Parts: sequence; structure tokens; C-alpha cells
Amino acid sequence: MTDFEDVDQRLARLARETEALHPSAGFSARVMLAIEAESAPSFWESTWFSSRRLLPIAALAAALAVGWAASLEHSVDDELATSYASAELE
Amino acid sequence: MDTLEKAVDRVLSGDTSAFQQIVAQTSVRLVRLGARIMGNQADAEDVVQEAYVKAFRALKAGEFDRRSSTATWLYRIVVNGAIDAKRSRNRRGETSDEAVETAAWDGAASAEARVALTELDEWLGSLPTEQRATLVLQSLEGMNNGEIAEVMGVSEGAVEQRLVRARATLRQRRQQS
Repeated sequence: MTDFEDVDQRLARLARETEALHPSAGFSARVMLAIEAESAPSFWESTWFSSRRLLPIAALAAALAVGWAASLEHSVDDELATSYASAELE
Repeated sequence: MDTLEKAVDRVLSGDTSAFQQIVAQTSVRLVRLGARIMGNQADAEDVVQEAYVKAFRALKAGEFDRRSSTATWLYRIVVNGAIDAKRSRNRRGETSDEAVETAAWDGAASAEARVALTELDEWLGSLPTEQRATLVLQSLEGMNNGEIAEVMGVSEGAVEQRLVRARATLRQRRQQS
């Protein structure tokens, strides 16, 4: 600051002289990395999304299992009925 | 609607890559503002990076109500972040000189800008952080009192009061030296 420079003149000079400041190389890339990390889904979010994709397959498998169990029960009942009938005949 | 607002629209509709456009359009002004408040560029870059992450989170959460322009909103986040960081550095008793010594200058600033930033930091170092930020916004960023009030979330009267006090302190210091 010179003897003749008042507060506003000094501020104006420092504004001019700091005008050349700009971000360092790679600053934008660092920011975007932080943003991508922020937008990446968390463990539970990704687990939920993966699970949601498997939901129709799981539902189909469950339906098939129930159908198979029902048919198995029918055949066991038929076999039992046949064995009772033959025992009564004897 | 300017390109900054369009980029915000794209981020709001789920296009994360559009945030790069926001960074490209605003980073020079925001880092310069941060450096003028913090007194060194390395701290300013940390503050601005954190501000971008906060802004991104707010956009994703639908918290940006667009009552102010995107540029004003980003200015507000950076100014608040810089004031908080400066205060916590002052509480730790760390001076800007120590911070500058530990921060590596990588040629992002010319020698003249570097010297001017150090001079600015030493000169404004005696001011309370809010007064310093207010003076920077007016005299170095060229904002009027209404714009400063919007960025800092205070009345225009409070802005005027801070500016008067800051100038009085600086004049007093000059007379003492």
C-alpha cells in the first residue's frame, strides 16, 4: 500500500491483481469424481435394485415349487388310496 | 433460460453428467471468490469442491427451490463454506501463512496474483470473517448491496453496516501504522 492509496484504491488494485486466479489443473476432474462417488448407489440400494431384477424369476420359481408340491401330494394320496383299497380286498 | 439453468434442468431430470457443465461454467469465479475470502487457493479449492458436492446433493434431493438464480445459489454455498472454514481455522489458531506454506502452488496463479492474494489476506486478516466476506463480495467481486444481501442471507442494512465497519477498521489500522 502506498502512502497515497486509500482503502478503496487498494481494494481495486488487489481485485485487478487477483483476477488471474483460476482453478488448478485437474480441479474439475476431482470435483466430478466426488460427484460420481456421491451419485453411486449405496450397498443397500444396489442390493435392492439387484433383488428387484430377480423378483419375477423368484416368483416363477416359487409358483413352480408350489405346483410341484401340490402334484406330489396328489400322487401320494392316490398311492395311499390304492394301498388301502388293496388291503381291504385282501 | 441460460445454459446454466438448462444444465440444472438436466441434472434434475437425472443426467448427472450435466453437472460437469455447471462446474465448467462456474469454477473459475467460485475458486477466485473462495481464494479471496480464504486467503489461499488450496483451501479455496477444498471449499468449492465441498460446495459442489452439497449443491449436487441438494439438486438430487429436490431441495433447490430456484427462488434465486443458480449462480447466486452457488455463490451462497461457497461463501457460507468459506466463512465456516475460515472460522474453524481461526479457532485452531492456524494462520493463512501456515496454510499457504503447506499448500502446494501448482502454477494455477501467476506470481503477481499469488503475491496480491497474500497481501490481501494479511490486510483483511484483522477483520471478522463476515465483514471480510462482505467486503470481498462488494469490492473485489463487484456486487451491489442487494446482491450481497441475497447471497449472504441478511438484510441490505446489515450489509451496509458490515461494509462501514470493515472500512473503518482498515482506515484505523492504516493510521496506526
